Amino acid sequence: MDFSLNEEQEMFGNYVRKYLEDKGETNIARNFMKGDLEYYQSIYSGLVELGCAGINISEEYGGMGLGALDLVPVLEEWGRSNMPGLYLETNALAVPILEMFGTDKQKKTYLPAIAEGTQTFSIAWLEPGGSYNPLDIHMAATVEGDEILINGTKTLIPDAELADSFLLVVRTSSDGGDKEGISLLLLDKTEQIKIRRQSNIDESRQLGEIKLENVRVSKESLIGSLGNGWDILEEGLLAINAALCSVMVGGIEKVVEMAAEYAKIRVQFGQPIGRFQSIKHRIADMKVDLETARSLAYYANWALENRTDDRVQAIAGARLFAAEAFNRAAGQNVQIHGGIGFTEEIDCHLFVKRARYYEHYLGSTHYYYEKVAAALGW
Amino acid sequence: MDFSFTEKEEAFRQELRTWLEEHLPEGWHKGDRQLPKELGEYSRFLRDWQKKLYEGGWAAIAWPEKYGGRAATLIEEIIYQQEMVRVKAPPLVNYVGIHMVAPTLMQIGTEEQKDAYIQKILTGEEVWCQGYSEPNAGSDLTAIQTTAVKNGDKWIINGQKVWTSFGHLADRCFLLARTSRGEKKHKGITVFLLDMNQQGVETRPIIQMDGKHEFNEVYLNDAIAYDTDIIGEVDEGWKVMIALLMHERTGIGAQVFTLEQQFQDLVGLTKELEEDGRPLVKNPFIRKTMVDLYTRSRGSLLNYYRNLTKTLKNGHPGAEGSMDKLIVSELTKELFAQSVSIQGHRGILWKEDAVYGDSYWQENYLYSFGMTIGGGTSEIQRNTIAERILGLPKDMGR
Repeated sequence: MDFSLNEEQEMFGNYVRKYLEDKGETNIARNFMKGDLEYYQSIYSGLVELGCAGINISEEYGGMGLGALDLVPVLEEWGRSNMPGLYLETNALAVPILEMFGTDKQKKTYLPAIAEGTQTFSIAWLEPGGSYNPLDIHMAATVEGDEILINGTKTLIPDAELADSFLLVVRTSSDGGDKEGISLLLLDKTEQIKIRRQSNIDESRQLGEIKLENVRVSKESLIGSLGNGWDILEEGLLAINAALCSVMVGGIEKVVEMAAEYAKIRVQFGQPIGRFQSIKHRIADMKVDLETARSLAYYANWALENRTDDRVQAIAGARLFAAEAFNRAAGQNVQIHGGIGFTEEIDCHLFVKRARYYEHYLGSTHYYYEKVAAALGW
Repeated sequence: MDFSFTEKEEAFRQELRTWLEEHLPEGWHKGDRQLPKELGEYSRFLRDWQKKLYEGGWAAIAWPEKYGGRAATLIEEIIYQQEMVRVKAPPLVNYVGIHMVAPTLMQIGTEEQKDAYIQKILTGEEVWCQGYSEPNAGSDLTAIQTTAVKNGDKWIINGQKVWTSFGHLADRCFLLARTSRGEKKHKGITVFLLDMNQQGVETRPIIQMDGKHEFNEVYLNDAIAYDTDIIGEVDEGWKVMIALLMHERTGIGAQVFTLEQQFQDLVGLTKELEEDGRPLVKNPFIRKTMVDLYTRSRGSLLNYYRNLTKTLKNGHPGAEGSMDKLIVSELTKELFAQSVSIQGHRGILWKEDAVYGDSYWQENYLYSFGMTIGGGTSEIQRNTIAERILGLPKDMGR
C-alpha cells in the first residue's frame, strides 16, 4: 500500500515549479494575454529542455517512455501557474492517441517533433450550435481516391492559432447515424485554413473557429480505420480527462494558498481576517476540496495507466469533482480577498476564468455524470 | 503508487476471515444482527463477543505480544477494520480500553497500573469509559469544572460528566479532573483511573434523538480515587490526554470503510425503490446525486489511503486526520439524509412501520447527526485544518 507519487515524480515537479517561479508564474499568462506570444514560446522551449514534452512518448520516438502518472507533477504545475498553451491537448490527447492508434508513419512524423517541442496539437470537434455528442458531428469528409475531401466549420478550438496541427472529428458516413461513421483525422495547419479568433472570458486561451472549404488531405491522415473515430476519441478522452484533473488540482492549490496567505496579512477590526471563523472555515473547506480532488486525480491517472476496470467512472468522477471544486474555490478566493480580489491587478480572476473554461471542456458535466452512472451499471 | 497488499498481509486477512466465519454470533452471517434490547442481556452479549475475540487472539491485535497482542502493523490494523466492517461485526464494548487506555498505560503507566488493568481490558472483564466532556466543557475541554481535592492519600472528586459512551456498563473511567487553577487553562488537569463501582458515582442514561441509549451522564459526589490511580503527573493530565489520542489510530478508517458499505446499501435501495414503474436509479435527478456521492465517498477513501501512506512514511499521524474526520462524518450525514429523502413521504415511517430495511435508514439518519459532533465537532476539525495545516491564526479565546 503506497498511495503517493514517487520520489522522481516529486522531484521533477519541483524542478518545473522552480523554473516557472523564476519566470514569473502567472506573468507568463499575463504577457500572453497582452499578445506577447514570444515570451510564452521561450518558456515552453525551457520546459521542453527540462524534458516535459517527451515524458509519455516512447523511447523509440525520442521520448522517455513513461506513463500518465509521470505527467501528473508537470500538469499540476501547469495549472498552478495558469499556463497558456497546448501542453495538455498535445501531450495528454494527441500523444496517447498516436501511441495507441497511429501508423508507424504518423508516429514518426509527429512524436519526435512533439518531444523536441516543435509540434503542438489542438482538437477541432465542436460545430456551431452543436454539442460534443456524436449526432452533432456534421463536418463532411469524403474519400476520393487517395485523398479525403473536407467541408464544414469547427468552433471553439483551443488555441487554434498556436496549434501546428489539429485532431479533426469528421463524419465520413451518415449511414449508421450516431457514433458510427465518425472518423478522426490529422490536419496540419496550412495557409488555406483561415482562423477566426473567438473572444472568451479566459483570455489566456485563444479559442478559434475554422471554416474548411474543399480542403483535401491525404488518406494517410486518417487515424485508425474509417468510421471508427469515436471509439478512438473516447480512449483519448480518458487520457486527457485524467490529465485535466491534475491541471485543475494545481489551480485549486494555488487558489487555496492565495486565500490563506491573504487571510494572514489582511487586518480588519484589529486582527488578521484569517482569525475569523467565517473566513477560516471557508478556507479549510477549500483545502479539503483540494486534497479530495488530488486523491481522485492521482487515482484517475493510476487507473488510466493500469487500465483498471473502474477507470471510466474513476476518471469521469474525478473530473466532475475537480471542476466543481475549482470553480467553487476560485470564487471563494475572490470573496476572501474582498475589493482587491475584484480587480484585474490581482490574480484571483485568472483562476475564476480558467475554472469556468474547463467546466464543460470536451464534454458537458451532465454528459460525464451520465458516463459515471452508466459505467457503474445503473 | 501501489494499492495492493503483500502476501503476508493477505494471509493475515484470510486468517481473520476464516476465524470470523466460525466465531461470529449465531445467525450473524445470515443477517440476523439484532442486539438484545434489555440492558443486562445487551451487556452480556457484547462482553461475550469481546471474550471470544480475546480467546481467538483478535481483541487487541496492535498490542505487543507480551501483553497478549499480535504486534500488528498499521496495515494489518487497517485490514482488521476492513474485515470487521465487511461482516458488520458487533461493536467492541471495550473500544476505549483497548484502543486508548491500555496503550497509554503501557507507555506511561506504573508497573502496578499495568498489572492491575491491562489483562482485564483484554479479556473484557473490565470495561472502560472516558470522562471528558461536561455540561460547560464541550469543544473547550480546558473549561472542565470537576474537581479533585487531595485528602491524605485520597482524592475527593466532585462534578458532572456527559456523553460518556458505555458509561452505564463501565467498570472504570479515564477521568479528567481539575486539581489546580493556574494561568494557563490546560495546566492543572489530572487524569484519574476512577473506579466506577462506588457510591460516589452515579450514571444516568441520556436518550438520543434516535431513541437509543449509548451515552450517559455521570455524577460524581465525593467519589474517591487514590494516589495510585493517577496516570502521569498531577496537574499534567493534558499531556496524558494527548498521548492517549495518539494511540487512537484506526477509528476513522473504520468509519471510512463503513461509509463505503453504506453507499453500496444506498445503491441497492435506489434500485429497489420504484417510481412510475421504473427503479429510482434510472431517474436523472437521482443519478446525479448518486454519482456525486459515489465520487465523494471514493474521495474520502482515497484521502484516507493517502494520509495512511504519509503516516507509514513519517512514523506518526499528522493533522490530516482532521480532514478525514470532517469529510467522512459530513458525507455520512448527507448519505443518510438522501436515503430517507428518496423514500418520499414514506421515509418518515420508522420502527415496525418502516418500509425498507427494518428502520435501518431512519435510525442511521437520526444517528448521523451525532457524527459531526462527537469526537470533535466539524467546527473544531475546520479550526485544526486551518491552523495546523494552513497556518492561520488562532482566535483570541485560545
